Amino acid sequence: MRPFSYARPASIAEAVALLATHGPDARVLAGGTDLIIRLRDGSARAAVVVDLKRIPELDPAIREIGGRLVVPATAVMTDIGADERIRQRFTALAEAAMVVGSVQIRNRATLAGNLCNASPAADTAPALLVFGAEIVAVGPDGARRVPIDELFVRSGETTLRPGELVTSIELPLPAGPLGSTHVRRTRRRGHDLASVTLACSVDGAGVTRLAYGSLGPRPVLGVDPSGTLADPTATAAARDVVLEQLLAGASPSPRSMRASPEYRLAMLGVLARRALATAVARLAAGGGGARP
Amino acid sequence: MTAPGETRVAIELTVNGRGRAVEVAAHHTLLEVLRDDLALTGTKECCLVGECGACTVSLDGRIVDSCLVLAVEADGGSVTTVEGLADGARLSRLQQAFLDRGAAQCGFCIPGQLMAAQDLLDRIADPTVAEVQEGLAGNLCRCAGYEQIVGAVLAAAGHADDTLLNGPASDPDAAR
Amino acid sequence: MTARVGGSPNRVGGIGRVTGGQAYVADIHLPGELHAKLVTLPVAHARVLGIDAAAARAVPGVHLVMSAADLPAPMPRFGPQYRDRPVLADGEITYHGQPVAAVAAESRDAAEAAAALVTVRYEELPAVTSVAAALAPGAPLVQDPSLRPGDPLAGTNVLREHRVGWGDVDSTPADVVVEGTWTFPMVTHFAIEPHAFIAAPDDGGIAVWSTIQHPNWLQRIIAGLTGLPLSRVRVFAPDPGGGFGGKQHAKYEPLVALMALRAGRPVRLVLSLEETFLAVRRAAAEVHVRTGLRLDGTLCFQDVRADYLIGAYVDIADRVVGKGSYLAAGPYRMPSARVVARPILSHTVPSTAFRGFGNPQVNWAVESNLDEAALRLGIDRLEIRLMNLARKGEAFIPWDTPADGDWAQVVRRAAELVGWDRPAVRGRGRGIAVGIKSGPTTGLSYSTVRLLADGSVVVYAGTSDMGQGARTVLAQIAGDELGAPLDWVTVVMGDTAVVPYDQQTSASRSTVLMGNAVLAACRDIQARLRAIAARVHGVDEAAIRVERGVAVLPDREIPIRELLGPGLGRLGGELIGVGETRLDAAPEHPLGGAPAFFEFNCTAIEAEVDEATGDVTLTRHVTVSDVGKAINPLQVRMQDEGAAIQGLGHTLMEHYILDDAGRIRNLGAIDYRIPTSMDLPVEMVSDFVENEDGPGPYGSKGMSEGALLCVSAAVAGAVRDAAGIRIRDLPLTPERVWRALRERDRDDSGAASGSEEHTEDDA
Repeated sequence: MRPFSYARPASIAEAVALLATHGPDARVLAGGTDLIIRLRDGSARAAVVVDLKRIPELDPAIREIGGRLVVPATAVMTDIGADERIRQRFTALAEAAMVVGSVQIRNRATLAGNLCNASPAADTAPALLVFGAEIVAVGPDGARRVPIDELFVRSGETTLRPGELVTSIELPLPAGPLGSTHVRRTRRRGHDLASVTLACSVDGAGVTRLAYGSLGPRPVLGVDPSGTLADPTATAAARDVVLEQLLAGASPSPRSMRASPEYRLAMLGVLARRALATAVARLAAGGGGARP
Repeated sequence: MTAPGETRVAIELTVNGRGRAVEVAAHHTLLEVLRDDLALTGTKECCLVGECGACTVSLDGRIVDSCLVLAVEADGGSVTTVEGLADGARLSRLQQAFLDRGAAQCGFCIPGQLMAAQDLLDRIADPTVAEVQEGLAGNLCRCAGYEQIVGAVLAAAGHADDTLLNGPASDPDAAR
Repeated sequence: MTARVGGSPNRVGGIGRVTGGQAYVADIHLPGELHAKLVTLPVAHARVLGIDAAAARAVPGVHLVMSAADLPAPMPRFGPQYRDRPVLADGEITYHGQPVAAVAAESRDAAEAAAALVTVRYEELPAVTSVAAALAPGAPLVQDPSLRPGDPLAGTNVLREHRVGWGDVDSTPADVVVEGTWTFPMVTHFAIEPHAFIAAPDDGGIAVWSTIQHPNWLQRIIAGLTGLPLSRVRVFAPDPGGGFGGKQHAKYEPLVALMALRAGRPVRLVLSLEETFLAVRRAAAEVHVRTGLRLDGTLCFQDVRADYLIGAYVDIADRVVGKGSYLAAGPYRMPSARVVARPILSHTVPSTAFRGFGNPQVNWAVESNLDEAALRLGIDRLEIRLMNLARKGEAFIPWDTPADGDWAQVVRRAAELVGWDRPAVRGRGRGIAVGIKSGPTTGLSYSTVRLLADGSVVVYAGTSDMGQGARTVLAQIAGDELGAPLDWVTVVMGDTAVVPYDQQTSASRSTVLMGNAVLAACRDIQARLRAIAARVHGVDEAAIRVERGVAVLPDREIPIRELLGPGLGRLGGELIGVGETRLDAAPEHPLGGAPAFFEFNCTAIEAEVDEATGDVTLTRHVTVSDVGKAINPLQVRMQDEGAAIQGLGHTLMEHYILDDAGRIRNLGAIDYRIPTSMDLPVEMVSDFVENEDGPGPYGSKGMSEGALLCVSAAVAGAVRDAAGIRIRDLPLTPERVWRALRERDRDDSGAASGSEEHTEDDA
């Protein structure tokens, strides 16, 4: 790895100031499970690495504030997957967090990092899209909220402005029961990067939200407000029409070596139907239901 | 020696129960510092992308791939490596089970496997086979001694899973 | 657990492996050492126009930047079969990853920084990276014809043509002929210990530490390149952290040795995992098989053409192709056979030995083809194998070592363990296949054994214990014969200055060849003990036997340990035994010698296929090997199960993916997938047959490659059985299986694909 210096700011303000001073030469370090790989292979360079983990304002504890669940930028996948509130009310997110890498990776990798890398295959992104999460970003001009659907541009690129860092991800607590799940396709059963990663939720009003990644430059959200998908009495043909609309945003790259576009698109359909069935069943069972 | 452009940082670590003050390069990983600065070579280097788990150590009570943690990030922390598992010459229960069950073949992945397995047992005292397999999925073994490794972890947890040593069940349906 | 032969004591060397105390090469540091880094180009084939190392040399801490210009002309070359591999690229690189230069510096950081600053001007040239491209008319030649003087094939990319056969295939009558083409991908060893090398000037000579499997072979190569006598080249070979064949032959040791001599200081080179991908792999293959049979299933002929895609340098690949294809007709009674196998040079990483040594590629084709034949004829796939299998003692290759085991017993056992006679659970399918591999055809192993005055034992053996457990097995043999408990036996390996010559650790030979050498050394000591017992007890020597730890006198048995005190007398001392096992070459034999034994395995699989996704789940994996005698049953099991899972790697998920420039796209652990603990069969069942009919100690045979040989055919057979699809290209990735399922459904025109409305959870 090329040498760099290391900064351990004591406040968000100090971190923002460091980013302002060093510009693109500064890299934000949360879990490091992606950044350190990239610094080593040369695809990222840094003059200074800014470690967020010792900032008291960014204590990793997940909190419920005013109808929202706040996941700080430093919260790691292990804790997100184990959080009882997330398991019960944002089941798909808990499930997604628990398939990111191995135990070792989940003990370091953060939700914020997973989003900021903007990998189209990020497993947590579809769940956050489904749950209508917002990120809180702080920069030289202060804090702002960005709906998650407005964050992703393409692989490695977000709408974060220069000098901004994500301080938390916020999930609005659902008003009523919600059934949700996350599913994915990989090349082996052991941990792997997904060739399709998908989350689905169904609420009491019958609204289905379906989001998927690894099928184009950025994860895509589709919503069925009509209730057709969640309606067990709807015909398969009627549901297929809606599903097709929801999945139309997929445009997988032919250059990927993990799976062909044809296979990804076919698996998107398979996984979407499986996830929908699970989400509906979970809703019927009263919502929640991440496996232990 | 100091490389060009390198920043040195003084850090303090507790390694296997012993306090260590060491000046490290800011860009060096915990793996490099353990192996090169502290001469604790039990922790192994292989893939350097967090896939193989050969470099697994416990940091503040959680296992990590030490190739993906900067040493400076661990400042003030407590690290346990494979060298910290035995009590002097007395092997831990898990280490003994690895020996008894033939879990170590070439042995190169074993330090990481042991750290992951110990972590698993600390979290789940009585794991199922699936839980062991999941808990160790971040530790590749190319000798593919997985059957023996899983058997050793179960044995250390107190399972009497003797099929692994006593040969196969003669009835193919018996174990279903 | 008893330490005696037939017991499963804890691994000798096991404590170091569970405490972190075991020192692998990368764990060894020498005072004053320099760190080396290789300089490579991002292309597969290029002419090197110039190398500018000024910026690299200016990096603080850099001591040496070596390139072809710093080496003697002509460029020194080496290789176990052909001296074709240059120490550093000489004006041309012929595969992605070939080093053009190397840097040595005071720190790893400095070496890496400097290597990145070496500027190489080059002109990219067209590369051939497939069999078809290499054989195309006008294809660029991978090796300059000047490297192949007098070779009529020098103007092509075909290295050689190996032909073996008997009878006349073309005139052998057959009721049906089943044929097909089967492919096997490039895969890599992925030992968790990346290769590592250290060399240091050693008082006028040189010392080399390497992860090598064959220290004596390396010693000879370094002596040849440096002009030093063998006695001044000391090779240390600490137990490798996994070898699987990838560490058999020299790779960068010559470079590191020459750098160390130039720098006058120790130089270490520890490869990254990515660099090991660029250093070792298994040959890909395209195998065309025609199998002739009678309607009752009797085999009439086997006609096999196998093109192995080897790399830019031969390494041991020519032998892999020749020996790997030699048994292509299988362990069957076969009236006639014709096998033509060709190593094809390409602009890819040199392929080398890898567990199974060329056999898995042809086995995949021939056993799968036999399955197709059985289906065509409506004969049970187990039955067709049993009816054709050579019986023990039968010369299944007319001139060669006859069948040396009760192979049908092995097959029946596997069938029993998978429940072949009972119908499979709905949705599941079964597959069965057999694998055979030649043991070593030549060999030379020496061992020295010292029985010390207190009855403890030191064994010197040049075998490498890379995980297979040779150290334990050899200790068990010596301990058993000389009456010492296992913890009183020390096995010294991996130091050519101390340990006598051993040709190599390969072909599952060590238990047989080195085992016999250790046994002979123990017998040597036992002969002396007989004389001692006669002298001490006043008994006629002819009336005394010494065996398995005791002296048997006419009226009593005396443990060897109790004989030593009175026998050695007040000065103590020791008894030294020397053993030698020699397997001489037979130049007229197609392999240069008859196999010392065959490794025989039967693998039976039960699997289910997810019709919607193409996922294959192995519900049961049975592997049964003929081992003659399990000196250490636990080690037999761990080796066979490990080999079986390694076989699942190339069967289900592993393959190099190359880009248009001939570079490996899935370079490294993120996108080259090997089985994890979550990718195991639901049930793994291993067993072995022991008839004590092998040439090794106590009737043992070599083992540990067998369980890998026929995994692919057995798995694909189970997939065929479960889903009615036949896939001819490995690996059987979910996507490949899914495509085959779709094709099947298209062919069945109108049949529902069954991909809708699944409710099970996919996680």
